[in-house]
Amino acid sequence: MSTLLASGPGLRQRGPGAWLAGLSTRGKAAVIAVEVLVMLALWQLVVGVLGWINPVFVPPPLAIATGFGELVSTGALTANAPISVQAWLTGFAIAVVTAIPVGLLMGTSLPVDRVTSPIAWTIYATPSIAYQPLAKAWFGFGIGPVVFLVTISAVFPILLNVAAGMRTTSASLIRAGQVYGANRFQLYRSIYLPSTTPFLFAGLRQAVVLATIGMTVAELAGSATGMGALIIKASNTYQTDQAYAAIGIVVIWSVGMTRVITLVERLVAPWTRKGHS
Amino acid sequence: MALPDIRTPETTERSMTSADTDVGTPLIQVRDLAVHYSHRRTGGSLVAIEDVNLDVTDGEFVTVLGPSGCGKTTFMNVVAGLVAPSHGQVLVDGKPVTGPGPDRAVVFQDYALLPWRTVIDNVRFGLEMQPHLRGTGWRERVQEAIETVGLAGFEQSYPRELSGGMQQRVGLARAIVAEPRILLMDEPLGAVDALTREVMREEIERLITATGKTVLFITHSIEEAILLGDRIVVFKSHPGAVKEVLTTGIERPRSERSIQSDARFLELRDHLWEALRGEATAAATRSSS
Ligand SMILES: Nc1ncnc2c1ncn2[C@@H]1O[C@H](COP(=O)(O)OP(=O)(O)O)[C@@H](O)[C@H]1O
Ligand SMILES: [Mg+2]
Repeated sequence: MSTLLASGPGLRQRGPGAWLAGLSTRGKAAVIAVEVLVMLALWQLVVGVLGWINPVFVPPPLAIATGFGELVSTGALTANAPISVQAWLTGFAIAVVTAIPVGLLMGTSLPVDRVTSPIAWTIYATPSIAYQPLAKAWFGFGIGPVVFLVTISAVFPILLNVAAGMRTTSASLIRAGQVYGANRFQLYRSIYLPSTTPFLFAGLRQAVVLATIGMTVAELAGSATGMGALIIKASNTYQTDQAYAAIGIVVIWSVGMTRVITLVERLVAPWTRKGHS
Repeated sequence: MALPDIRTPETTERSMTSADTDVGTPLIQVRDLAVHYSHRRTGGSLVAIEDVNLDVTDGEFVTVLGPSGCGKTTFMNVVAGLVAPSHGQVLVDGKPVTGPGPDRAVVFQDYALLPWRTVIDNVRFGLEMQPHLRGTGWRERVQEAIETVGLAGFEQSYPRELSGGMQQRVGLARAIVAEPRILLMDEPLGAVDALTREVMREEIERLITATGKTVLFITHSIEEAILLGDRIVVFKSHPGAVKEVLTTGIERPRSERSIQSDARFLELRDHLWEALRGEATAAATRSSS
């Protein structure tokens, strides 16, 4: 218990915990880089050198790197990645422009929330693969079903977070707004919306991850093109190194887009930044 | 939580002309005021305050003292126009309160600053939605308010970068920037550390007496009530109501130190101690029975 309590960066303590907590941004990046390198080296050793695991199931890092080279040189990456990116961006954009107004409405009106919330949570809780047959039936083949799965995966985390942000707006800030003369519209603009902003960005970050999963699922389950299709084709032909390289690219996209969201948040909502930095 | 709903009382037909509000009329008149909160879950209703009557004259500093939960905030919220009375009414300048207005500003116990605004923009919030102040000179007004509360140099800081005491200074600047006639302060120093509290008490005393504002200042500190008030309104609980009203009659300016040896201060303090202890004992017996 006491170790948990004493783990704040500002408290005086010794040991590696304190050392890590005290690192600068660049120092933290260096620690992560070393960590990744050590893991890759161990992985290479266990699979590639010692051969404890069959490399067909888990190819070593160097093989994955070669796989990545092959994806580039055969043109497989340039043939599939842009299709995925297009579907992802389209689906995500649709999700954002639908989820924000609906979320605001749900957060504003209790009756709307009572009716919409159970439906939203149910759809949100259902694994996205369940929507694949429906997507096929509605949108046929090609990019349509992928866009649909991206949208349906991304829309609910945004919507539910925005609604929660509206509902949890501090009652005393609302009173302050009323005291200083805000009408209904001004109350929304100057109190409700800014206090919902951090919730919106939290929702967007979750949405990025879920959208990428939705995209991959849609493409795995019967698309001819896209990163998911590339992954399934490569593993069906035992080119696991290429499959892993493709998965790696998808993961990097997902992490990269959450970083983009965070950067946008720092621009539009600088007050949410933590005190020390 | 639902927004407090302000309904215009139907009983406002008695139109007040300026002739009615002669010099003798108190600035704030509280008439048979009662507020009942209905509890949606239990279906019952709670009498927060009942039969509150009070007159506050222009320029008077009135402190409201009472145990926690006795309805002080509720009372102030009615005067602020944030809560509608269940019975009775509050008149300001002879006109019934039907909602917030530019003649009244509130300093909140939890500061209620907008975390996404810098100090200067938080203070500007106090006047930016007042139509009669829009336009000329607001920059100067904001800067002046910031300097008055001693925050010059912190204009571009965010609230989270400031100590509790400094945040409440922002709350105070926001309240005075539009120069309201009435300041409503709900335990403004309740969440401020003890040392800062003493310093800010004296500053508030000096600031307010200099500007001649009418103040309703809620507190649960006996010393604070005496140090600041021209009069002290003692509240009792269950239901919240005025127990007694005392006139302090101590010369201004007062300071934390000089007042400690003032005979009247000591007398009032002992009296208020007894009064509040009675209240606390009554509350304890009630909850144990
Ligand atoms: N919005 C509300 N709804 C229901 N009950 C409330 C509400 N606000 C206050 N109360 C109740 O009214 C009583 C008086 O509260 P309050 O005015 O905050 O007292 P004080 O400010 O003196 O501590 C308390 O019992 C409190 O629980
Ligand atoms: Mg209170």
